[in-house]
Amino acid sequence: MTSRAPQLARAASAAALAAAAVGALASCSGGAAAEQPASSAAAAAADATGTWTATGEYQTPGGQESVTVTLTAKSGTVTAVKVTGSGDSPNSRQYQAAFISGISAEVVGKPLATLDVGAVSGSSLTGQGFDAAVDTIRADAA
Amino acid sequence: MTALSPGGVRTSTTFEAIGTRWTITAGDPLDPALLARVDEVIAEYDATWSRFRADSAVARLARGEQLDLGPTAPPLLALLEDLRQRTGGALDPLVAASLEHIGYNAAVDLLAAPGYRPAPRAALHRDGGVVRVEPPALLDVGSAGKGQLVDLVTEVLAAGGHGEALVDASGDLRVSGVPVRVALEHPFDPTAAIGVVEVADAAIAGSAINRRSWSAEGGRRLHHVLDARTGRPVETVAATWVLADTAMLADALATALFLVPPEALTDAYDFRWVRMRTDGVASWSPDLPGEVFR
Repeated sequence: MTSRAPQLARAASAAALAAAAVGALASCSGGAAAEQPASSAAAAAADATGTWTATGEYQTPGGQESVTVTLTAKSGTVTAVKVTGSGDSPNSRQYQAAFISGISAEVVGKPLATLDVGAVSGSSLTGQGFDAAVDTIRADAA
Repeated sequence: MTALSPGGVRTSTTFEAIGTRWTITAGDPLDPALLARVDEVIAEYDATWSRFRADSAVARLARGEQLDLGPTAPPLLALLEDLRQRTGGALDPLVAASLEHIGYNAAVDLLAAPGYRPAPRAALHRDGGVVRVEPPALLDVGSAGKGQLVDLVTEVLAAGGHGEALVDASGDLRVSGVPVRVALEHPFDPTAAIGVVEVADAAIAGSAINRRSWSAEGGRRLHHVLDARTGRPVETVAATWVLADTAMLADALATALFLVPPEALTDAYDFRWVRMRTDGVASWSPDLPGEVFR
């Protein structure tokens, strides 16, 4: 289960991508049965804009389950991917969770000053000894 | 950062310990005797586990002694041993030698020797808290030690009647009582966040390569999160965050996520996570109690 939906990929065929994503998930359990995308008229265009949905059904030891991929593209660039699954068995949930989490996004930073938070988590602030050594390296390099 | 209540009593205190900045905030005024106990616990931990001190217990282990490291050793070393196995040896306390090789040594001179040094092969013999390293080698528990110390400080506060508290060791923090919204610091811009999560009666740990980083000859850019098998800094991951019940677990798993994908750990541990790659793309667990901005 290493499928990873492309982020901000140029989508020559956004609908085909949605279908492929369905196929990738369904094939985990063997036997993909991806349906045709709901809309494919403009999908092949490199400047595709719109939303496409594809649903795939697959057989698992726990019974018939399905997964739906909804993909949004603007001017040929995929801007959003949403995956929902019907599988309720722990195994299915695990695969779906892995798949869903694998869909990642380019992050956007928001200024800390605009956020209402009680703490910040990131790399630890360094101590004085460390900072002094970094300063020395910088001075030597200059 | 020190907040004073109307009576002039501290409810928040900031100090530097184990090489980073700590802030303790409590719902009720912090009693000086309790803060003295916190100092004691931190000093004791440092005396046991600091690889930057020649007189620490781990420094003595590295000189071939067998020592009882006390009650913090079994849970810490058991966790690190389990993660060593689950990461195929990429996370390993024996990485201390690799860190020293690239200049992150006791003197913290950050003067890197050429190339990289894989972690040495050595056996960590442990019976309860009694430890011996054969052949003798230095241990680095930086992947989980700060988190464990956050847990210990939280316990001190709880024992002192502080059911509502925030122990923040510069980003590795544990929340008791009232939930706290925590910003996920952008690893490339310390004035920005890439998301916000809510932490309630749990811990969050973050790890990133932006602060403990330095440069060396030949344009080499170095930082402190290494693959112990090669001794090289990890280049694909920029930052990780883990939410878990304890800060020790969160801290250790945040480091582990630099080395293996979350799927390698989800069977064994209960945690939520965010992982941002150096190309600026992040992924996160579906049940994250918060939001990643995109």
